[in-house]
Amino acid sequence: MNKMFAVIKREYLQAVRKKMFIFMTLFFPVLMAALFIVPGLMVAKGLGGKKVAVIDGTGKLQSSFAHHLEPAVPEPKKALSGGNRGQLPQSIDVEYLDAHDRSNLDAAKKPYLDRLYVDRKSTTGLDAVLLIPANAFEGSDARMTFYSRSSTDLFTQERLASVTNRAIQRQRLSGRGIDPNVVDTLTREVPFDSVQLSRSGQQKKGGEANFIIGFIFAALLIIPSFIYGLETMRGIVQEKSERIVEVLISSMSPRELLTGKILGVAAVGLTQVAVWLTLIAAVGTFGAATAMMAGFDISQFLRPIVFVYFALFFILGYLTFVCIYAIAGAACNTDKEAQQLVAPIQMVMMLPWFIMFAIITNPDSTLSVALSMMPVYGPITMFVRTLVSEPPVWHVLLSIAVSIVTICVFFYGTAKIFRVGILSYGKRPTIPELWRWLKVA
Amino acid sequence: MSVVLSVRDVVKTFGDVRAVDGISFTVQRGTITGLLGRNGAGKTTTIRMITGVFFPDAGSIEWLGSERDARDRIGYLPEERGLYRQMKVKEHLLFLAEIKGRRGNSVVQSAERWLKRFELWDKRDAKVEELSKGNQQKVQLIGTLLHDPDLIILDEPQSGLDPVNMLLVRNLLRELKEEGRTILLSTHMMAEAERMADDIILVHKGKVVLSGGLDTVRDSFGKNTLHIDYEGDGAFLEQLPQVKRAMIVNNAAELSLVEGADPQSILEATIGRLRIRRFELAAPSLEEIFIEQVGAETMESMR
Repeated sequence: MNKMFAVIKREYLQAVRKKMFIFMTLFFPVLMAALFIVPGLMVAKGLGGKKVAVIDGTGKLQSSFAHHLEPAVPEPKKALSGGNRGQLPQSIDVEYLDAHDRSNLDAAKKPYLDRLYVDRKSTTGLDAVLLIPANAFEGSDARMTFYSRSSTDLFTQERLASVTNRAIQRQRLSGRGIDPNVVDTLTREVPFDSVQLSRSGQQKKGGEANFIIGFIFAALLIIPSFIYGLETMRGIVQEKSERIVEVLISSMSPRELLTGKILGVAAVGLTQVAVWLTLIAAVGTFGAATAMMAGFDISQFLRPIVFVYFALFFILGYLTFVCIYAIAGAACNTDKEAQQLVAPIQMVMMLPWFIMFAIITNPDSTLSVALSMMPVYGPITMFVRTLVSEPPVWHVLLSIAVSIVTICVFFYGTAKIFRVGILSYGKRPTIPELWRWLKVA
Repeated sequence: MSVVLSVRDVVKTFGDVRAVDGISFTVQRGTITGLLGRNGAGKTTTIRMITGVFFPDAGSIEWLGSERDARDRIGYLPEERGLYRQMKVKEHLLFLAEIKGRRGNSVVQSAERWLKRFELWDKRDAKVEELSKGNQQKVQLIGTLLHDPDLIILDEPQSGLDPVNMLLVRNLLRELKEEGRTILLSTHMMAEAERMADDIILVHKGKVVLSGGLDTVRDSFGKNTLHIDYEGDGAFLEQLPQVKRAMIVNNAAELSLVEGADPQSILEATIGRLRIRRFELAAPSLEEIFIEQVGAETMESMR
């Protein structure tokens, strides 16, 4: 028991003193948040610079492209959604050309198309040109044309198409004697908020936030497991390659050693989570997180139960992964061999991460429920389910039970493979050999 | 004298190779026992079974009169350095004592005493990887002794040490022996074993080829070995008809003679060719005995 404690202490102290640990603990949550939020902000910001020329062959749509004033700081959410479908988002800068008196539209568009090639930072540069044909109102086969250098700028294209079509509809209706103001009233769209009703009757808002928060928490849950799992694996390989293991095994049983190692690593993980949760809680309390999320209401994710679940599922997932990596470490002699052995296993373990989108959007689907009950996949899937939905209590309990059993089975197997593998300095064993070790040890 | 360690008919196979093929021996309390043999003879595998690193496929091992709970009373120095590179020296030593069940003030003081004695005091807070190979070996040795073991098992303890530190270790081992501790010393350096060991166990290809008290073993080979120190080119000595086998290193020759050969005739043969400084008929050296047992080609590969 004392010997095991010595191992726990050593593993813990060695790990928490590493720069990697300090970095992961203090900066990783910030990094993850930045990783998901920054692209969103960049999309919104990036629109601010879009300059588009509209060549209007009908000459009647100028009012719809009237320039909108931009607020000093664009609000990402509004910039992205554009508010009302009838308006241009604040971030598109339109240069309007009334071309109804030009007989040849092609000639009219020529100088504008040339400006597409000018450096877009210069004042004459353009990102896109929209060509509205003269017969846009009447012609049954009339088509607008959108020219741009990047075919992927679907966002600007779709926005412009929507605004232009709305303007054309207004013009058509007013051409039949209907007051444009009446047209606006008649065709005004009613915006909607999505409200999620939970079993406890709580109301949640903000479907988009679910996404980002779900991903951030999932990343916080899963990435440390991989990193510390790899660390454990390397540690074991190092102990073998440097023969420290001989000294260890001549002093204690392999099971004591393995238990000590895994508990030590678990203590490291718990420390990390404790710091993270404290950080998140502190940030959440001061409301900085809310501001950081640019208008998303994340307070619903900072429910106390989320913290409990996070700690719980983190430890379950973490121990499962660490056991898997410990097996690989015990079975191999070099880091490289061990990496090769775990690479395919890692892909399999990552499955919930790859289909995180499906889990977050459908937390109560058969797929999500099944995954949350499965060994290895359970902890992360179930945590995400509890985060974005409210699964029945028995789902949660069953998932926890499955995970605990899995960890026990893995630990038992790891201990056996550890016993044989840790001292075999031959070539990397094949899977059938590993299986034989499991049986004979 | 009481038996501290007894190894009976142990066998260890790796795949098709019988690394240890029925080795038996005993180690007496308060002695230094040399486990000798060339690299790959099965010394390290035998030691790993004694220290519980490997399970023997067959046979039994008894430590200190019991089969269990003796581990904490054994100090084991593995063949290659087995230290965590990232750990600090003193911290590492305390960890090594702790996994042998020793902790607290007395161990700390003991560690500090050892560090001073081995001139590592200045390096107590350095990381192991920052030390030279020889210093790492000394740290490992302290780690082997810190928990005050009764039975000390050393696998090639002098590898990587310079002559000064070799002397340090040699004196240390004698001192430990005087304190009544038992030492099992595995080495391929015959001369070293000859200086240190009370008993020897000669292992070759997984089997014990010779064992017993060093003097008894040497005496059993009779006094028909000529030790000659000389000046001049002594290569011809090997060619003399009376010489069965010769070991010639620099200006010293160890000649093992054919049955009934007269040493005097060899002395005569050297007249006018060599300037003799020593001419002695004595028991063969351990190295010579070893060759006798396992064949000359083995010896060549050991050099």
